[in-house]
Amino acid sequence: MKHKLRFAAVLLFLPLIFSPLLAQEGEEMQDGLLAEMQIEPPPQAVITVAEDMPNDGGHKLTVRWEFPKEFTSSVVRFEVYRAYSPDGEFVLRGESPNDFYEYLDIGDREEESPNYMPNDSSYYYKIVAVGTEGVSSESEVGGPYKTYGQWFHTGKVPLLIAVILFCIFTIYFVLSAKGGKELYIRPLAGIEAVDEAIGRATEMGKPILYVLGIGTAAEIATIASFTILGRVAKKVAEYQTSLIVPCYEPIVMSVAQDIVRSAYLEAGRPDQYDEDSVFFVTNAQFAYVAGVNGIMVRDLPATNFYLGYFAAESLLLAETGNAIGAIQIAGTDQVSQLPFFVVACDYTLIGEELYAASAYLGRDPLLLGSLKAEDWAKGILMVLMVLIILAVLLGWDAPREWIRVNL
Amino acid sequence: MTRRQLATYIFFGVVVILFAISVALKGFFVTFGAFLTLAIFSFLYDDNPYYKFAEHLFVGVSAAYWMCMGFWGTMVPNLFGRLYPPMVGPVIPALKDNPSDPFMLIPLILGIMLLMRLSSKAGWISRWALAFVVGTTAGLNLVRYLRSDFIQQISSTAMPLYVTNSAGFSLGETISNIVIFIGVMCGLIYFFFSKEHKGAFGAGARAGVIVLMITFGASFGYTVMARISLLVGRMQYLLDSWLGMIG
Amino acid sequence: MKRRVPLMMVFVVSLFMVVQNFVPLDEWNWIYQFLLDWTMIIGILSLLLGMWSLWKVHTQKIKRKSENYGYSFITLSGLILMLIFGFFPGSGGIENYWYRSFFYYIMVPIQATMFSLLAFFIASAAFRAFRARSVMATLLLLAALVIMVRFVPMGPLSPIVSDAAGWILKVPNLAAKRAIIIGVGLGAVATALKVMLGIERSYLGRD
Repeated sequence: MKHKLRFAAVLLFLPLIFSPLLAQEGEEMQDGLLAEMQIEPPPQAVITVAEDMPNDGGHKLTVRWEFPKEFTSSVVRFEVYRAYSPDGEFVLRGESPNDFYEYLDIGDREEESPNYMPNDSSYYYKIVAVGTEGVSSESEVGGPYKTYGQWFHTGKVPLLIAVILFCIFTIYFVLSAKGGKELYIRPLAGIEAVDEAIGRATEMGKPILYVLGIGTAAEIATIASFTILGRVAKKVAEYQTSLIVPCYEPIVMSVAQDIVRSAYLEAGRPDQYDEDSVFFVTNAQFAYVAGVNGIMVRDLPATNFYLGYFAAESLLLAETGNAIGAIQIAGTDQVSQLPFFVVACDYTLIGEELYAASAYLGRDPLLLGSLKAEDWAKGILMVLMVLIILAVLLGWDAPREWIRVNL
Repeated sequence: MTRRQLATYIFFGVVVILFAISVALKGFFVTFGAFLTLAIFSFLYDDNPYYKFAEHLFVGVSAAYWMCMGFWGTMVPNLFGRLYPPMVGPVIPALKDNPSDPFMLIPLILGIMLLMRLSSKAGWISRWALAFVVGTTAGLNLVRYLRSDFIQQISSTAMPLYVTNSAGFSLGETISNIVIFIGVMCGLIYFFFSKEHKGAFGAGARAGVIVLMITFGASFGYTVMARISLLVGRMQYLLDSWLGMIG
Repeated sequence: MKRRVPLMMVFVVSLFMVVQNFVPLDEWNWIYQFLLDWTMIIGILSLLLGMWSLWKVHTQKIKRKSENYGYSFITLSGLILMLIFGFFPGSGGIENYWYRSFFYYIMVPIQATMFSLLAFFIASAAFRAFRARSVMATLLLLAALVIMVRFVPMGPLSPIVSDAAGWILKVPNLAAKRAIIIGVGLGAVATALKVMLGIERSYLGRD
């Protein structure tokens, strides 16, 4: 019995002892077989074209090639090589799956980049079909193919049409306003209240605080706010109240100084203008809030204006203003801050109303003309949306695609 | 000395001792950070000398902070580094061999023009620089807003009003899409300025205001939670980083 | 000269910015990048104007011994110290210990605390909204309430509230935001166009 067991154990181990030898022998046999079989490489791919990618500066080429479909299974992938001359060094650019005969070669625009692909240059390509058995075949060299930069981005046609249409509208209405045509503009609650709010401050003998927000001087909301500031400052000068304009941005500050000075001049009280009434606080968001809140609780303005670009500080300002019992008129184009102004202020100019208020207060027919153009654009947009939706309801999806802008 | 004054002095003394202990144990800066945090919180009660101190310090330090950041982060690499690269070699060695770019003289000149406004006689020249900045941004904004705020919004609002999915007709989604469409329309009517809000037009505008108010409420409610988490973060600083009471 | 040159400059620069959006050519992009870099540099240089204003306001407060003028010393010391640390010779600027400590232990805590004050302010604003009397304010409040309590367990009511909240956020919220954004977009485009054409020129002052 004991012997039988030992014999069985030896039998079990034997294959293990000989296995490396067996494996080696197997490989040799296989190599021999392969040599005998002479495995065929896959057929060559044939480069048909390499097209310049449209709508760019000329740093992309789409390479296309043909390959017999029946051999798809014998190929693992295609490798795409590129060179600057037919006999130059071909560099691997990328790979494409075995059933996809196209590759987008994307280069960089920057000269310093290792992937730099200059525009207006010729390129040569080679496609290598890598076979399943590790054997591959190279295509003939294709080329020269050129890259070009385009003068116009065709994907932006809807945008161009919109720009042109809008310019035509604006210029038309501005010109007709200039011609003396009366334009109706609906009253805006916040703006109607401006005079009353300034009057109240005068009666109480308290200052008026005007906050231009934390946008730059070129921010649209800030520009709208500048016009309103001009009007407010003029009234302030007439009523002989004092004005405080703490600024977040130095350029905004210097523009605001100009505007307030001009307003005092217009009101016929240039001597009353206090240069220190418009000043810089700091351009750190919360430090600015801390500073303005400090001004509020110490100088106790009767009326606060918050018009311009605002972020998280909106509520900190508006609540502090509310706590000191000031009348507050706010306006911003920042959707996320509007709720806070609506809750904490007496009047809020919502989004576009801020721009409208600036035109309204400016009383300049030219500015009002553009407001009319905006309304027309809105009207056209509404009609357009209805038409598109009707088309979609009728099962015609194409118009939705037309208005897409390729970025 | 009244009792109230005495109580104030005692309170002040205790606070000073507590902070002195904290300085000894935790170091000056951590304690000072905690003091400033409490000083800002004290504004919730009323304006007071502690808040005034923190506020004034913050204003001064932050103004200088951004000046330095702007200088080292923008002026050195983008102006000096391109105007005369060897100059910034000691700070940014990677730039020192770049060719110099005389075009960068233009912003320098424009910047100096802007500073000319400090002079009462040549102040007008600062408008040139201003015009450059405003012009660049205006052109940029014109296309940017038209694309992102106008055309893209139309294409996303123009959704099918009759929605079917894998299970067939979807009543819920259909209603939602119709409400979105009508909501956008009414909102837009509200923003009409050159037409009186009367009759059917006025009704549309009123519906627009209703949708706006619901939205403002929703945004408000949504933000409440986010703000409370900020407060929790500050409390953690006081309790953990300063007093070491957590974990 | 005082007004015409700036207005022409605005027109030319902004026209370029509009047109370049449609032209993908490298040369145009190169100029575009340049213009953006320039505005950034002008922006930083303008900070000197701000520094000057800050300095003037506070030194004058001290000179005139206005109310709370003592605190102006604190602002000025903060400013000067931070500038000295920021331009510390030989340390490569902002990498030195003091500059970083001032940032981490003065600016960061105050900034974060100011931001966290919002939690209290939003609560007081909400409280005021609760006493709302107009129909519109009540609507606002109701919507806010639904959103705020959407995660609060309320037994069988919970799924209804959470569905309602989800719907408000997805449907009317989206509609109104879109209307605002479209309006703002149009207004912004119109303002930009007015600036380009020189109709809107309040930013240039009047004299």
